[in-house]
Amino acid sequence: MLSRRDFVKGGVALVSIGTTANSLLKGSLAFAQQNPAYVAANNGKILILVQLAGGNDGLSTVIPASDPNYKSARKVLGVKEELALPLQDGFFLNPKLTGLKGLWDKGHMAIVQGVGYPEQNYSHFKSMAIWQSGDPKGALQDGWLGRTLEKLESEQHDPFLGFNVGSSTPPEMRAESISIPSVSDPADYGFKVGGKPAVANDPRTATVMKLYEQYPGNSPYGVLLETTAESAVESSRLLAQAAQTYKPAVTYPKTSFGSGLSLLAETIVGNLGMRVGHITLGGFDTHNNQQAEHDDLMETLDQGLTAFYQDLEAQGKANDVLVMTWSEFGRRVQENANGGTDHGSASQVFTLGAQVRKGLYGEAPKLNQLIDNGNLAYTTDFRSVYATVIERWLGTPAEALLGQQWPQLNFIGAA
Amino acid sequence: MDEEGPAFPPRVPFWNRPATRRAVLAGAAATAAAGTAAGIVGVARQGGGGDDSAPAEEDVVGGTGSTGATATAAALAAKPIADPRRRAAHLLRRAGFGGTPAEVDAFAKLSREEAADRLLDFQSVDNAALDARIQAAGLDDLSRMKPADGNRWWITRMAYTARPLEERMTFIWHGLLTTQVSKIGGQRFKLMLIQNALFRENALPRYDDLLKAISKDPAMLFYLDTAESTKEHPNENYARELMELFSMGVGNYTETDVRESARAFTGWRVTMPERPAEPKANLTEEERRKLLDDLYAAWEPKFVVQQRLHDSGAKTFLGRTGNWGGDDIVDIIMTQAATGRFICTRLFMEFANYNPEPGTIDRLVRVWDSSGHQVRDVVREILVSDEFYSEASYRGFVRSPIEFVTGAIRGLELDLAQIPAGGAGANARQADSFKGMDQVLFEPPSVAGWPGGETWLSSSTFFARMNYLDSFLFRAGRPTKIPVLAAAATPEAMVDAALDRLVDGNVADANRQAIYDYARGVKNADERAAGVAYLVLASPEYQLT
Repeated sequence: MLSRRDFVKGGVALVSIGTTANSLLKGSLAFAQQNPAYVAANNGKILILVQLAGGNDGLSTVIPASDPNYKSARKVLGVKEELALPLQDGFFLNPKLTGLKGLWDKGHMAIVQGVGYPEQNYSHFKSMAIWQSGDPKGALQDGWLGRTLEKLESEQHDPFLGFNVGSSTPPEMRAESISIPSVSDPADYGFKVGGKPAVANDPRTATVMKLYEQYPGNSPYGVLLETTAESAVESSRLLAQAAQTYKPAVTYPKTSFGSGLSLLAETIVGNLGMRVGHITLGGFDTHNNQQAEHDDLMETLDQGLTAFYQDLEAQGKANDVLVMTWSEFGRRVQENANGGTDHGSASQVFTLGAQVRKGLYGEAPKLNQLIDNGNLAYTTDFRSVYATVIERWLGTPAEALLGQQWPQLNFIGAA
Repeated sequence: MDEEGPAFPPRVPFWNRPATRRAVLAGAAATAAAGTAAGIVGVARQGGGGDDSAPAEEDVVGGTGSTGATATAAALAAKPIADPRRRAAHLLRRAGFGGTPAEVDAFAKLSREEAADRLLDFQSVDNAALDARIQAAGLDDLSRMKPADGNRWWITRMAYTARPLEERMTFIWHGLLTTQVSKIGGQRFKLMLIQNALFRENALPRYDDLLKAISKDPAMLFYLDTAESTKEHPNENYARELMELFSMGVGNYTETDVRESARAFTGWRVTMPERPAEPKANLTEEERRKLLDDLYAAWEPKFVVQQRLHDSGAKTFLGRTGNWGGDDIVDIIMTQAATGRFICTRLFMEFANYNPEPGTIDRLVRVWDSSGHQVRDVVREILVSDEFYSEASYRGFVRSPIEFVTGAIRGLELDLAQIPAGGAGANARQADSFKGMDQVLFEPPSVAGWPGGETWLSSSTFFARMNYLDSFLFRAGRPTKIPVLAAAATPEAMVDAALDRLVDGNVADANRQAIYDYARGVKNADERAAGVAYLVLASPEYQLT
């Protein structure tokens, strides 16, 4: 099947004058009109992936507050039962997660416990790479969402199919044939001329695009350079359109995480065809003085996600969106001498959304049955979570994308 | 707080896509999977290429019996860069930050060995003009410098040094033996400059010496938590990264080795600033800041071992038992074969290309071993190699933002009193921001440094590059004067000069024509020069190095 890019290239060749951003967009639109397989942008379910980078301390997030093993391992960092927010079965949310507790009470949150993989790797980079590729053996190419987006792209063509808040494409969204727009600040996301946004038909900007269109595809980095420029121009145009109509229904917290979530909401409300969005909250590598840092992070996470959910609800989009958090690992059960914790293993995945089935899924690792000198033994493979989200939420078969079949979980109903 | 979080480990970027990107990646699949620079294996190819003569193409193309893409990659690897000026320009970009036409001409006349030695023997090169420039820019008080000025200071050094390889190596060590100023604190920025001076003084070191020195470096002691590590509670952060990122790579040590070696670095500390004699009560915010500034400006941090916090007991590390201290741990690491392969691979990938063949690394490791781990000898071996001067290396990298800017200054011989590096702070978003392009000096995204390669290019960094150029060349709407271009007799001559200076004159004809068309439409010579410079610097060709 002809890809969107092939079509755009063909379209450009036919448009004799002005091989500019306009003609690229025309190519996209013409493709949409002439191909019945094109799916209207807002038909799809949307996944928002939130990376908690650095290794979030699961035991300080979903807390077994009454477990004597927890109390003895966490003499400094331990949260007292009376301060924590009760969930069920002896588990409590971090006291800072009041907004998420509200969503739990309303039935919009599910938590998968004990998520990890065999032979835990304790390096940030290696463990992140495992989660991002979706393959501890490293045999699968690109990112798990990149592969998924390629599959979705065969059915739906949108420059915003995948969208990242940040300055570079996250590894889990990398894919061979599609370029994922990354935006850190919408105000800087477009060509400027003399410091002001470029006007239509600005000759210098038009010449730049011509240089990228004419750059031979078989030259070094040919496809990367051309698709990056093309995706930048298309997505910049669409984002500017969306910004004109979007009015947040809530006040987002004044953190970069909050403004990033607001940008994701704008993309959703603007019907830009996004199926997968990505945002990162970093700073979870709390080797020392964890208490204050982790409290801040929990508050940032809670306020951001709560505002995001409320906004989507008010905009009538809550049924279309699933939020999922992940972190490369949890932290060691025994706290260290610097008021912190060292690299650990299994942790939780949170999912939020109007379509989520509330509850605790999986099994919490036992604190008296530790592995690898004091770490939690995982109980649910992370690929079970991925398979569930890919198949039941994004609606595409997971087996080929993950290299094998994985049992699915019930935090989302079967498609 | 840095909200970007740790970055992905460097993967092997595809450097060419003859048929499909997948075909090339398939050749390097094992590589990408390994995830770190250590895991790199090359595209399979017969023959070593161990001598100075370029290997014949036929020994390569028929050699693999692999995919067409692999054969093409291997063929490129064997194809030397033919034109002497392109070879010289390539060397000056990779071993420095780009050359002027006069430098390119001079290097084009040298043999490979002469060219390499001219860059390597920088100790005797006078750098007084750079010092004068730094002083004129008001960037010479390092004791009170803050990160934003620190960025301008270092970029100025890179753009105007007479010793390009010295600065390039300093930059390489910063990207490998990383420290993020955000963890050190901007108030204590001088620690980053002390570390920077360490890298410059050890630009081409015996690697053992550099590893021992960086282990005791004040900024590093804070960055990876050694400064908090005690006998009772050893902190594993430094010990792990020392092995994973700074020497051997993952898979060459166990979790037990991490724990044991962490004990050897316990009690390692930095002397702290003298407290003021009579701190006044109820200081205003301004007074407090001034007090701290004075305190840190006078501070001369020294490395010390606090014996009562140091674990002097027996440790078993990589199979050897003894009462090891930190230097002993480094000595043991330096006996490991994995260390030589890891560092030689890294250096090859800094200078040449991302697909070293096993035979190439074997050759570099022999130099490493026989020289007693002299980085200078390994770098020289790379800079005179066939691999370095092959078409596989030419434009095999995506230009980093630092190279993007310094290459423009050198190529166009811009005499700038201040290099635009606004928005050097972690949260800055100005148009001339290096942050937007994703590279702020002293603030790599994680302990693994800048992932580089393909990751430099996203839609966001694409616009950031374009808009840096707009701000750089049309500040407040007025064109920056570029005398070497404005003097051209015709629009076409101006375009040709810009292309020669910035992309070796090596572009598709259609792209040259497109810039001609633009240039003909601009009447004012200064505006035309800045516009032509913008387009060449914005071109896909210039994004590569």
